[in-house]
Amino acid sequence: MKKISLSVDAVQISVEQGATILEAARQAGITIPTLCHLPKKISQESHCEVCVVACEGREGLIKSCATPVEEGMVIITENDAIKAHRQERVAALASIHFGDCKAPCSLTCPGQINVQGYIAHVAKGQYAEGVRLVMEKNPLPFSVGRLCRRFCESRCRRVLLDDPIAINHLKRFVADWCMSNQVDLNIQKQPATGKKIAVVGGGPSGLAGAYYLAKSGHDVTIYEAEKELGGLLRYAVPEFKIPKKVLDYEIATILKLGIEVKCNHRLGQEVSMDELNSQFDAVLLTIGAGVDQPLGLPGSDLPGVRPALDFLRKYNAGGEVKQGKSAAVIGGNNVAMEAARALLRQGYEVSIVNPKKDISGLGANPVAIQEAEKEGARFLFQVDPCEIRQQGSGLELVMNQLELSEPDKKGKQKLQPVPDAFDVLLVDTVVYSQGQIVCQSDETPAADVALSPKNLIKANVKTAMTSMDKVYAAGEAAGGSRPLIQVVSTGRKAAESIHSAVMGLAPAPAESRFNFTRGKSAEDSKVLERFTKQERTPMPTRTPETAVLDNEEVKLGFDEAAAKREADRCLECGCMAFDDCDFKTLCIDNDINLNKTGMGTVPAYSLDQSHPMLDVDLNKCIYCQRCVNACAYEALDLSCVSKDEQGVATGISLSFNDNCVHCGNCADFCSTGTITKKDVLSPILNEETRKVRTTCPYCGAGCQMQLKVKGDTIMEATSESHLAPNYGALCVKGRFAFNFAQDKARLTTPLVRRDGKLVEATWDEAYDVIAERLTKVKKEHGSDSIAGFSCARATNEENFLMQKFMRTVIGTNNIDHCARL
Amino acid sequence: MASLAITFGSGAMTNSIADVVNNKTDLFFMIGSNPDTSHPTIGLRIHQALDKGDAKLVVVDPRRTKLAERADLWLRIQPGTDVALLNGLMHIILKEDLWDKDFVAQRTEDFEEMQEMAEKYPPELVSEITGLPISQLEQAARMYAAPGRNAIYHGMGITHYHTGTDRVKSIANMAMLCGKVGVEGGGCNPLRGQNNVQGACDMGALFNTMPGYGKLDNDQLFDRYEERWQVKLPRHPGKPATEIWDNILQDEIRALYVFGEDPAIADANIGHVHKALDHLEFLVVQDLFLNDTAKAADVVLPAACFAEKDGTFTSTERRVQRVRKAVEPPGMAKEDWQIISELSERMGYSMGIAGPEDVFNEVCELLPQYKGLSYARIEDVGLQWPVPDTEHPGTPVLHTESFTRGKGLFCAGIYMAPKEPVDDEYPMLFTTGRHYARYNFSNMTGKTEEIDDIAPEALAEVNPVDAERMGIKAGDMLRLASRRGTVDIKAKITERSQPGTIFTTYNYEETPVNFLTLDALDRLSRTPEYKLCAIKVEVLG
Repeated sequence: MKKISLSVDAVQISVEQGATILEAARQAGITIPTLCHLPKKISQESHCEVCVVACEGREGLIKSCATPVEEGMVIITENDAIKAHRQERVAALASIHFGDCKAPCSLTCPGQINVQGYIAHVAKGQYAEGVRLVMEKNPLPFSVGRLCRRFCESRCRRVLLDDPIAINHLKRFVADWCMSNQVDLNIQKQPATGKKIAVVGGGPSGLAGAYYLAKSGHDVTIYEAEKELGGLLRYAVPEFKIPKKVLDYEIATILKLGIEVKCNHRLGQEVSMDELNSQFDAVLLTIGAGVDQPLGLPGSDLPGVRPALDFLRKYNAGGEVKQGKSAAVIGGNNVAMEAARALLRQGYEVSIVNPKKDISGLGANPVAIQEAEKEGARFLFQVDPCEIRQQGSGLELVMNQLELSEPDKKGKQKLQPVPDAFDVLLVDTVVYSQGQIVCQSDETPAADVALSPKNLIKANVKTAMTSMDKVYAAGEAAGGSRPLIQVVSTGRKAAESIHSAVMGLAPAPAESRFNFTRGKSAEDSKVLERFTKQERTPMPTRTPETAVLDNEEVKLGFDEAAAKREADRCLECGCMAFDDCDFKTLCIDNDINLNKTGMGTVPAYSLDQSHPMLDVDLNKCIYCQRCVNACAYEALDLSCVSKDEQGVATGISLSFNDNCVHCGNCADFCSTGTITKKDVLSPILNEETRKVRTTCPYCGAGCQMQLKVKGDTIMEATSESHLAPNYGALCVKGRFAFNFAQDKARLTTPLVRRDGKLVEATWDEAYDVIAERLTKVKKEHGSDSIAGFSCARATNEENFLMQKFMRTVIGTNNIDHCARL
Repeated sequence: MASLAITFGSGAMTNSIADVVNNKTDLFFMIGSNPDTSHPTIGLRIHQALDKGDAKLVVVDPRRTKLAERADLWLRIQPGTDVALLNGLMHIILKEDLWDKDFVAQRTEDFEEMQEMAEKYPPELVSEITGLPISQLEQAARMYAAPGRNAIYHGMGITHYHTGTDRVKSIANMAMLCGKVGVEGGGCNPLRGQNNVQGACDMGALFNTMPGYGKLDNDQLFDRYEERWQVKLPRHPGKPATEIWDNILQDEIRALYVFGEDPAIADANIGHVHKALDHLEFLVVQDLFLNDTAKAADVVLPAACFAEKDGTFTSTERRVQRVRKAVEPPGMAKEDWQIISELSERMGYSMGIAGPEDVFNEVCELLPQYKGLSYARIEDVGLQWPVPDTEHPGTPVLHTESFTRGKGLFCAGIYMAPKEPVDDEYPMLFTTGRHYARYNFSNMTGKTEEIDDIAPEALAEVNPVDAERMGIKAGDMLRLASRRGTVDIKAKITERSQPGTIFTTYNYEETPVNFLTLDALDRLSRTPEYKLCAIKVEVLG
């Protein structure tokens, strides 16, 4: 074959005659982007035109995938004209691409949890995998699963049909399921780095920080001021919301990574900042905001007037004694609600007093407010406490009435005091919670760490760095009172920042925010038509009347059937090709701004689910035709009604003809998420996966395949086109039929027959029975009275051992397998 | 594989899949193999090779397969008459002087016996037995014998007969007669049904050979093994798996250790198997699932599947490839190597290994074919045995200079009619095959729901002529009965089946067709006659 010499981006290369410019560049290690081209395939008539290059001496740009090399060509693959053309092409294609990259739920979660992913794992019965997925971003699935503010549910697109998915209940379900089934999550750590990190404060952000630092291979020690870890989860959240045994289990799961814990070590007392700085490579302060802001009213220091956290601490420790019969709670945050509910359980009549207009103005989780209300707390709005007075053995809470002002220019109304209008509430005790701070100003735990005017630690929002070198802060200590998932999330992000710093790495680039979205509109009829209405599964809950009688958990949790039913309601908005979308990559690489260039806004096609193994969503199709190019069986019929002057196709139709052998190769080559595999339900959002190259377990062809593994689950099987003997081809079995590996019917324990029945046994018991019985038969009837079948499915090593066992241990050649069957 | 071991000295595919991929083959002679369903990725490459142009295709198959439809010549043979056909073709090749005299003279022995035997198969007789016109026989003989790199491919459609080894010998005879062995693009290529059936044979999981096909009468070899393993080894042949059931019922075998098989559903004539399993004194089953055999066991051991362990498989083209652990086994399940090694230890013998790589190193130390292999060498791409030393690149084509046994041995094989011909009571022939989306029984492919949509149930494929005659409509339930059992199955009317023959896929536990099949065994390899038996058909409507 004749060789042709040319230059590509000033690199001299020599390739075989007949090769295209694209192929020549690839051989030289220069990647020219393309959407439609596949190696060794003749390109279709219509091209994506993304692969254009410039050639010296030629006018305009040429398609590198369709132009054969010529002697002496000088090719340039990057210049302004090329970039502009690519941008124009990609933007044109984007204008019809309609779909969500990330699902709204995942997009909204402050913890960046792959929400759709874990819902899918629940639907598939892969509960441990669901928990592992949650724990990639949130190591506290038990607590968050009980307390979360659920921003995700507020964006769930299921509202267009009926109610949002009960997402958080599913999170709690998978966590609880793993606890009651004692599943070892087998979470892998990175190799040890030799770096030592101190985490000061074992509350939610500290635990999260410690978890991710330990997972990254660092040597982590938690210093905790109290007797036990948990922070506010233990000391402020009552048993009826998070049972202590659940919290203990959650913390134990985190500590399993190998984290040292020093309880009863308060910063500034048992351990000093200097000590930490000298012993550790970095220090993370997550000391929480464990002190209530002072009430600051006349009479605040009367006996019977107490900060809510003090009250809850004592209540949760079982040391709280009821005094009188009525209580007022001042405040509208979560702690106030917990305090109110605890007071109800002590038998108080409880009034929650608030200067806001109504419930919508309160800071607490709406669910917590509802619960307090259901259990009998009375809410008083538009009253501003101004004084507390002793009245006999009781207290008088004096409150200024508030009213709405006249609307201002913008039509806004403010609450303002009604002059001289006061209400007086007679109670026996007053508990207040008006926000939490790190410390009273005169008792700073770390003098050199600067505090904000609000008495929180000053820390950079992105890097978590404080004013002191190598000292970081996260959680409520730095950010003040906020929803638990955000607290956890700051702990994780601080851990990432510390990891980069101690390892001398550049900070991990922020995840691209590039995202196609279908928007929020109800114009989704084509998307919603395949779903039927199904009500949200209610959380089994004890009645408020009985729940207030004790301290037991109020919400009982989903059982497996309820969880499955609820998970099946998911509309699966997010794209299954999230981690494998060439089109999105191209958009990002070419700086496409969808807000300027536009994207598909209306679904033009219904989802086609008629193929047994594949789903086809033509709303995402950019008509690159790579699926057709990839099919070795000519099984795809792809056409469009028309194309506009920019080459954008409308009226696309894609069907599979009788040649289709369901091998799924087209899905692996789809440049978007148009063709997806039915069995791949969980999108992968920048999470770590492993690729394991192995040999197909089916026929004797010995096809090489790659298993994509996440945690302990095989997500999908693909193949590499350069490897003998199959060079990328797989059949329907190779690509799809690996579910048996993780089927529920798998044997998980040895069984031994006792009294006619097969019963579970330990390995030792099973081995003993086999050894004893085989030895007996051998002794009584000779070696040749025992036979063994080996296995044509097992490995060479195992077959070798099996015949060796029969020949050496048993002493017979009665060994065979199904070679003939 | 036993026959290729006798005729050539190595019981394996002589050539490589790469021959197909790289268009090295001028003619494909497909006999008793439908790779489109049994080996889909190989089937694809054959189609692609044919698409590219020059390669010719001869298909010998009673069924109208996809390959049969595009063949240059399709011999729609009477089931079970392949040996007569092959002998008949050789008769024509000899008569028309189309054979490779140099090859026969230099590379083979016992030619005369074969020649004498072929004499006895004139086209007229063969035409009568096989139901093929003489012109087709002549055409097939000429096409195969024509100069060029002509390859024979065969599958279970050849071996699953009581005359399976005769068939394979006849194939080898024809290939040697025409000098088509030892060349790139040619050869005799059995397509092995299971992922590691080649490896299980290589490893000596056989009653009549040691690892690496070492003979039981080779004293030197045994001395070596006994030295290596530090134990006295039995030197008389054991019992083949397919005879075990009779042996059990006769109290010759009292305990059975079944590793990764389900004979209670997979064997021929499973009613007999069930009886034997019940009769056993002690049964151990090591498997992924509580299959039918395991349900009868005294001890069941939970094993790991391919994705949960490290090791190697050897493919149909003798390529030794890595298997790698991707996930943990469920619960307390263990990797098989570990189970066998621990049990061995418990019974007082140490295997002396810490993991699969140790075992593989022992294999490479003991097996001449694997001598030059190691995990490091097959890290990226597997190598094809024999690999005699650590520099050797592997052997894509066997027998290029000489046969493994020296000279190729012609083994005259006479045609024997199928064990169970049709008669008045059982007037139809019954045969089985694999569905392309399914693999053996439901334990593996049955766990992927979507596959049920492609291949929801077993169907009895009936030719329209038979359907008309017996009053069968598409979708009718049929009760098929052989002398051994019955099975109910839905009818599909299709030209794919030959008149007089009903075909069905065997992949469904709900439709256990092996209640019908025949357990008559091949004389040499002891393979049962899965592929053919006589049945009667009752239309249930």
